[in-house]
Amino acid sequence: MKTVVSVSFISLVLMAIPVLFSENIGAPPAKFEQPILITSAGQSAEVQLASVLSKRAGLDAVLVKAASPRDLKNTKTLVLVLGASLKGLGAAGIDAADEKARVKGLVEAAQNLDIAILCLHLGGEARRGQLTDQMIEEFLPYGQMAIVVKSGNGDGLFTSICAQHNIPLIEVDRTIDAIAPFKNVFN
Amino acid sequence: MKKTKNHPLEQNRLFLAGFLVCFTCILCCRTGPIESQPPPDRHQPHNYVGQKGMVVAAHPLAAKAGLAMLKRGGNAIDAAIATAFALNAAEPFASGIGGGGFMVIYIAKEKKVATINFRERAPAKAQSEMFIQNGEANETWRRTHGLAVAVPGALAGWDLALRRYGTKSLKDTMQSGIRIAEDGFTVSKTFSKISKDEYEKLLLMAGDSCCYLNDGFPLEPGDLFRNPQLADTFRLIASSGIQEFYRGSLAEKIVNAVKEHGGIISHEDLASYEAKELCPLRGTYKGFTIYSHGLPAAGGLHIIQLLNILENWPAIRWEHNSPAYIHHMSEAFRFIFAGREPYLGDPDFVDIPLHDLISKTYARKISSKIDPKRSRKTYPYGDFDERDNEKENTTHLCVLDGEGNVVSLTQTINYFFGSGIIPDNTGFLLNNEMDDFARVATSPNAPGPHKKPLSSQGPLIIFKEDRPYLILGSPGGTRIFTSLFQIIVNIIEFGMNLDEAIEAPRFFSYSSRGKAGEISLEARIPGSVIASLEALGHSVDVREDYDTYFGGAQGIMILWDKGLIHGGADSRRDGYGIGY
Repeated sequence: MKTVVSVSFISLVLMAIPVLFSENIGAPPAKFEQPILITSAGQSAEVQLASVLSKRAGLDAVLVKAASPRDLKNTKTLVLVLGASLKGLGAAGIDAADEKARVKGLVEAAQNLDIAILCLHLGGEARRGQLTDQMIEEFLPYGQMAIVVKSGNGDGLFTSICAQHNIPLIEVDRTIDAIAPFKNVFN
Repeated sequence: MKKTKNHPLEQNRLFLAGFLVCFTCILCCRTGPIESQPPPDRHQPHNYVGQKGMVVAAHPLAAKAGLAMLKRGGNAIDAAIATAFALNAAEPFASGIGGGGFMVIYIAKEKKVATINFRERAPAKAQSEMFIQNGEANETWRRTHGLAVAVPGALAGWDLALRRYGTKSLKDTMQSGIRIAEDGFTVSKTFSKISKDEYEKLLLMAGDSCCYLNDGFPLEPGDLFRNPQLADTFRLIASSGIQEFYRGSLAEKIVNAVKEHGGIISHEDLASYEAKELCPLRGTYKGFTIYSHGLPAAGGLHIIQLLNILENWPAIRWEHNSPAYIHHMSEAFRFIFAGREPYLGDPDFVDIPLHDLISKTYARKISSKIDPKRSRKTYPYGDFDERDNEKENTTHLCVLDGEGNVVSLTQTINYFFGSGIIPDNTGFLLNNEMDDFARVATSPNAPGPHKKPLSSQGPLIIFKEDRPYLILGSPGGTRIFTSLFQIIVNIIEFGMNLDEAIEAPRFFSYSSRGKAGEISLEARIPGSVIASLEALGHSVDVREDYDTYFGGAQGIMILWDKGLIHGGADSRRDGYGIGY
């Protein structure tokens, strides 16, 4: 009896761990391993933020803003930073259709190689808009987990897509707060 | 005689009547600020109201700083400079002492319009091919490099305006700016988004410990942003004068910072900088007279050209943002861009056929070339580079004081956060204005020693029957003049009030090397209009509902017949107004 109670208690504590640092819905997380390839879906500047977060989290990651399937070599997790910027697309010399085609090719290649996909949305409410929403709707379903800055999910778009596709969702208040869950995902 | 006691209801009536009389008197005699909060939905048109004067700027604290100066007895010029300093503290990513700009001033007693050119200037070592590497323009050198920095003119311009037309000292006008920088303020969504957009530049050029990042990360909405280094810089200038900036310890720091990043600004470049007072550029549209700054600020010229073209068409019959209106004006925008590169530059260095360009005859020629039923396949060749459409920078402020004096001031550090270079512990950003020079070495706008690059800025004062009627300006790179043109037409032709005109959906187009650029428009323009434009042969790029790409206009409208002043501040950014 004592053993059963202890095991149950430990199980409950283990199950509660993800909830302790954030709101979390969806299926148990997939296995995320390093090295990591960070890329953008929409060419917003937040891809640079993800790179700095990975450094602060002590993760083995490389940043390729417009990564192609070739960049997946030796990658075990693809981090997709969801956020569109016309300015960023312009600077990259591409349009939204080019970007969608690139990202689609990349995530499909990642799936074929059994590479886990982690989606980040770090731009918050200010980054949301038609083009960003298109990126979220099209590519979030490929993710096995999502970490988002809470203000970007004010209308529940992430909650809804994650629930529909059984993707665990972690919300953080601020960009800097994403360091801990980002790190924990790889532990 | 026995005094009869009033019935309680009678007493209440007397009290109520007395209260109403007092309240009305207070309303009639008030000179305090009339602060009307914008509606919770920032995009809902909202006119700030005043009876004597008005300050409108891109940040509430800046507008309040301007009003505080008016309340302390300063005139419109004093208030404009106080607002400009406050903007450096409250909206540091768009303008400041590391940049420059243009000002249009109206002195009511003299019925005089003057302009002040405080545009940044190229260093003496600048050359026409300084940005060419292996036959191509090096975009990094033009934008995020010491070579991108031109000699700042803001302090010289503000100082000149105060000496010529102000009543207060530079030191007096800096106090609100010092307070804002010292005490800090809550970061808005706009500030945060721009910080995130420019994060890479800030990391690269200013480092992760710089004052514009929070523990190495971009500022978030709701963060408290303080800039004590900028407050100290302002205090130093307050005590030592602008010479500290152009010849003293700040000059030393600017030269060193630029040099560290590969640039060429010298002590002599800073010491020899002078702002200039010039005659305004003048144009007409129906019964209105438009005053703006002349070249190298091209915005005013282009607005006058566009209004001249529109005079040949029945705009009112087309209706606002109808396919016919957007088609004709997009074609006109393309002709304006085609005529921009071959002729325009710094008038101190190149001969410009200004009289021809601004003439009604030239406008008639352009309007006659536009086919109402089809987009043209080609346009006159111009070297305009579409990469110059990427900027969304700059800021505009307007002030009207109780004497009827007016300031319309546009200023910038070019791209948001400028070059990203912050001279050692000074808290201010240096511009990357050299990027406004042409990429083609033979262009009249090619870089050269002491030349001022061409700008799209266009601060305006529009007169109706010899009295100021509309004071207007906007940031927004190459969309400055197309957006201001649309606001003016929204008011004059389509009968909108000021803020309705500012908030209305906008569109933009251009031509580059003889080819049409797409029409960019805000998503609020209906799909049926977009389909009609595509049927006319246009390629259309739909942007956000309220897109900062189209600028952030500020304006003041004087309703002489009603004894009212309206202020309009663009919800695309953090615009705000206060009347009194």
